Amino acid sequence: MTQTNRIAGGLVERSKTVNFSFNGKSFQGHPGDTLASALLANGQRLMGRSFKYHRPRGVLSAGSEEPNALVQLRTGAHQEPNTRATVAELFDGLEATTQNHRGSLETDYMEVTDLFSRFLSAGFYYKTFMWPKSFWEKIYEPIIRHSAGLGRISFEADPDIYDKGFLHCDLLVVGSGPAGLAAALAAGRSGARVIMADEDFLLGGRLNAESLEVDGMLGSQWAAKACAELATMDNVRLMPRTTIYGAYDHGVYGALERVTDHLPSSNGKPRQILWRVYSKRAILCAGATERPIAFGNNDRPGVMLAGAVRSYANRWAVSPGKTVAVFTNNDDGWRTASDLSRQGVTISAVIDTRDGQPRAQIPGATVAMGGRLMDTSGRKGIHTIKLVDGRTISADCLAVSGGWNPNIHLTGHQRGRPAWREDIAAFVPGADLPPGMAVAGAANGALTLAAALKEGRAASDQALADLGMTPKGGEEAKAEDEAAGITAFWHVGESRARAWLDLQNDVTAKDVKLAHRESYRSVEHLKRYTTLGMATDQGKTANMLALAIMAECTGKSIPETGTTIFRPPYTPIPMGALAGRSRGKDFRPYRLTPSHKWAEEQGAVFVTTGMWLRAQWFPLPGETHWRESVDREVIGTRKSVGICDVTTLGKIDIQGRDAAEFLNKIYVNGFAKLAIGKVRYGLMLREDGMAMDDGTTARLGENHFVMTTTTANAGPVFRHMEFCRQCLWPELDVHLISITDGWAQLAVAGPNARKLLQKIIDPDHDISNEAFPFMACGELTVCGGITVRLFRISFSGELAFEISVPARYGDSLTRALMAAGEEFDVVAYGTEALGVMRIEKGHAAGNELTGQTTAANLGMGRMVSKKKDCIGNTLSERPALNTEDGLRLVGFRPVNRTQDLTSGAHFIARGKEAVMDNDEGWMSSVTFSPELGHSIGLGFIKSGQERLGEVVRAVDLVHGKDIEVEIVSAHFVDPEGERLRV
Amino acid sequence: MSDYKLTALAALDGYQKSFEGAALEEQIDLAIVSIAVPLGGTEALSKALQESYGASLPKVGEISLSKDGQTRFLGMGNDQMFAIFDHPGADAAKLVAENLKDTGYYTLQSDNWTGLKISGPKCRRALERIIPIDLDPAAFPEGNVARTVMEHLAVIVLRDDENSFLLIAASSSAGSFLHAVETSINNIT
Repeated sequence: MTQTNRIAGGLVERSKTVNFSFNGKSFQGHPGDTLASALLANGQRLMGRSFKYHRPRGVLSAGSEEPNALVQLRTGAHQEPNTRATVAELFDGLEATTQNHRGSLETDYMEVTDLFSRFLSAGFYYKTFMWPKSFWEKIYEPIIRHSAGLGRISFEADPDIYDKGFLHCDLLVVGSGPAGLAAALAAGRSGARVIMADEDFLLGGRLNAESLEVDGMLGSQWAAKACAELATMDNVRLMPRTTIYGAYDHGVYGALERVTDHLPSSNGKPRQILWRVYSKRAILCAGATERPIAFGNNDRPGVMLAGAVRSYANRWAVSPGKTVAVFTNNDDGWRTASDLSRQGVTISAVIDTRDGQPRAQIPGATVAMGGRLMDTSGRKGIHTIKLVDGRTISADCLAVSGGWNPNIHLTGHQRGRPAWREDIAAFVPGADLPPGMAVAGAANGALTLAAALKEGRAASDQALADLGMTPKGGEEAKAEDEAAGITAFWHVGESRARAWLDLQNDVTAKDVKLAHRESYRSVEHLKRYTTLGMATDQGKTANMLALAIMAECTGKSIPETGTTIFRPPYTPIPMGALAGRSRGKDFRPYRLTPSHKWAEEQGAVFVTTGMWLRAQWFPLPGETHWRESVDREVIGTRKSVGICDVTTLGKIDIQGRDAAEFLNKIYVNGFAKLAIGKVRYGLMLREDGMAMDDGTTARLGENHFVMTTTTANAGPVFRHMEFCRQCLWPELDVHLISITDGWAQLAVAGPNARKLLQKIIDPDHDISNEAFPFMACGELTVCGGITVRLFRISFSGELAFEISVPARYGDSLTRALMAAGEEFDVVAYGTEALGVMRIEKGHAAGNELTGQTTAANLGMGRMVSKKKDCIGNTLSERPALNTEDGLRLVGFRPVNRTQDLTSGAHFIARGKEAVMDNDEGWMSSVTFSPELGHSIGLGFIKSGQERLGEVVRAVDLVHGKDIEVEIVSAHFVDPEGERLRV
Repeated sequence: MSDYKLTALAALDGYQKSFEGAALEEQIDLAIVSIAVPLGGTEALSKALQESYGASLPKVGEISLSKDGQTRFLGMGNDQMFAIFDHPGADAAKLVAENLKDTGYYTLQSDNWTGLKISGPKCRRALERIIPIDLDPAAFPEGNVARTVMEHLAVIVLRDDENSFLLIAASSSAGSFLHAVETSINNIT
């Protein structure tokens, strides 16, 4: 007994059979079916349980507005909850299970909550679960959380991949119904670049669901013909299965293309693509969504939207019931009766809320003009409907039409508000559309066929004319306008049982009236208080009814009541699609230094510094703890020689007649008179006088400097200097470009640094102390003529150089230096050892240049030249930054040398309470010093320079540490700097 | 004379691969030299360009070709252009300086960047997954250059041919750059 509800016709491929399972039971359908149409064909009306009360529910619609028939599609890691059966394309092997029930779909134990509905109305959780207070966190909330939520995720990583993309067009046509097809045809034939997108897998919109004709043929045939013509045009891109979900600035639209969701497997290709569509013009031809009428027990399986019943009959060749009744307030509902009747389906009744003559002859149907329904019978599937006048009529499918709502959502994504049209009792797009957008067809309130075709064509011609193109759309398609009269009717007041509005969140007409009684009267409050419109369907079939009822309660008109704001996305988007490729290792790019490969071979441990990977230390076989490696690297460097890759520090090439003057304005200290072949340390301030970054700048020529920055500030300093040269001082001839990546830079440090370098530097260059003193720089050659730049600067405090070579030679230079250094027991050292040595020397780094410290705090107050202006000079003189007891950077060592200092500890005087009022400063950097054999630190403390020898406490409340520390000079090792100058 | 020799390594080791409908190749000999236009020196530099290369000063977003077709000048900014040409050595800036003398400021950029050439009938479909700008031949013909961002990387794009593009991105993230383009090709084939 399969597919008992199939009728003739339709657009499914009857010659092929598709097998699928629903709650473990096997069913059959055809290609072209959705899960919903196939289930209906098989007589399966019960498709889900509602969110709050676990009421039995069936499918309401035939589109993405579906609130009831939500299933978990697929299994295992691919399982996706809340999939609308109405849009899930049937494929062979599809597995679907229903959600939100304990026990089976047929026997859901949680249905007992429906008995307590009086206590669970809108906002009940604001008024209950308050006593005893302690129960909330441990008992009530967990229970509510456990029972809340629609569907369950698999908790496994998403096994599919997703992609993103960028498309450009002259005209974006949103929707492929009559208006959209008319627009796309006209624009395509005119040679414009067109993209036409539709959320459906079969283009044609409602033409595929209706029995109306265009150009003398069935609408669906005309649609197929139009699409075939469009497919031949190179300038047209057809995108079925693609939802245009958002209208963003500058004509940019967000689109989600479902590439493989209709296939058993994605086969390693992207499952979905998130597109940004850059359009010059767009036409919203998104059609309209039908709304129901609210009455008692209107939520039962079998109660459906009339237009959907027509879709199932005409497109999917399914009659959702054997005995169909229609309840309508407009002409459109009658066409469901006539279409199905023509197909041989029994129509038991047509109930029209309007008075007057029947709008069509429906054989065998009881017609009740001016009639109203107040109840249904059949909890798990209706079998009878009850009128207000007391009559009961048989029906196992009730087709309800309360009118149609133009799908105006995208017109509101940039805060445009809709306008009300009394004649169709619906909201239409307002005056403020997103720039470049026009609306045509049913989405614009032109609900009939001929009007939709005409509007689509006109909008397309206008859009092309706006773009300076000549419309050459050819002959216009011909059709008639069907009857579309309506008299607004929202809910049956005589109903005694609950009348349902938001089927997904179980919100009733009573809840709306409750909200009104409790003074939540604006639509925004109504929405949040009742949760109406807040589920995955965003109230597409509920909002209109709710605000109409609220309008009745308040006595305002519907336009006065207004709507809530539409926001993207139009329908739900998987998080995977939003992430695209940005997952796991690919979350962001990596930057590797030229010595990276070599460092990997050495087994280096790496650390991320922004996007860079830097070697942190180089463990040798046998070393089991990082301190072993780091201490060894420090000792080895200070004893003989060490090599460290410092390529990551920003390197900025500065050239121009006014380059020196430019640097004078950027740095606090003087650079105008820096000699060629010399390097100088520089500190730069922010405009507000705070220290921003430091580095060294070398003068390679009269008009040529190379500046280094810290790794983290390379980008920000470059941006800052470009702003200065372009906007502050455009009269200066100075030009900047980054050379960070282009030059590998290695620090060679230690007493044997010069000897090591002399083994690779070509003999015609002299780097003796006399020829190349401390802070010298220049271009030389190595290894038989390869140009390098050499800088005699030291971060470690040892005799040191930094050698820079075009990055293509970086790997080779590293290996050459390590080989040449073997005779000196050369060590490779990483960022940890680098850090140990600079702390031992008292050099400020990122921990000290936090953006909250000044030159004075850093002990560099006198470096800020008063003979010239520079960025930040004036504001650095603010009194609050220059007090007598200002913070100063000094050194700290534990009184008990066996104790370890922690950075972030705050300084409190002995005997004082550890509270904010007694805070005298903080520890910024700490390390174990192999040379001194104990922990040392740098930190800021009030009047630090005058308190050498004093003992204070370093208090770390986070780790519960409070130790005594002595204030000492920040220069722990070689304070006179003798090693630098040998 | 030192006993040690330095060998050059390309960022992607000379990567070269063919896919169905697209091919991808690292441009290892791509020399890039930045030429900054001195303030007030536009005329002098234009003249020097014309005299030594037979090329005009490119506007931003434009490419100007030398008479012998060997050097392209990319208009990168109001006062900046990149000269790109085939040259295996690391002395490209010196070559340009020799030609244009002191009419401009020259900076070697060859190793700052990695160049990937993508070609084939499917290359545009691959690129539309990562490149935000419109690469339609009408919107982006030969002779155009653009800076854009793809997969968090700054990239310079120019059309090489009807069905091929040159993409240039920072060399330190060459691996991520290649991965982004390769993934795009894999995703559409």
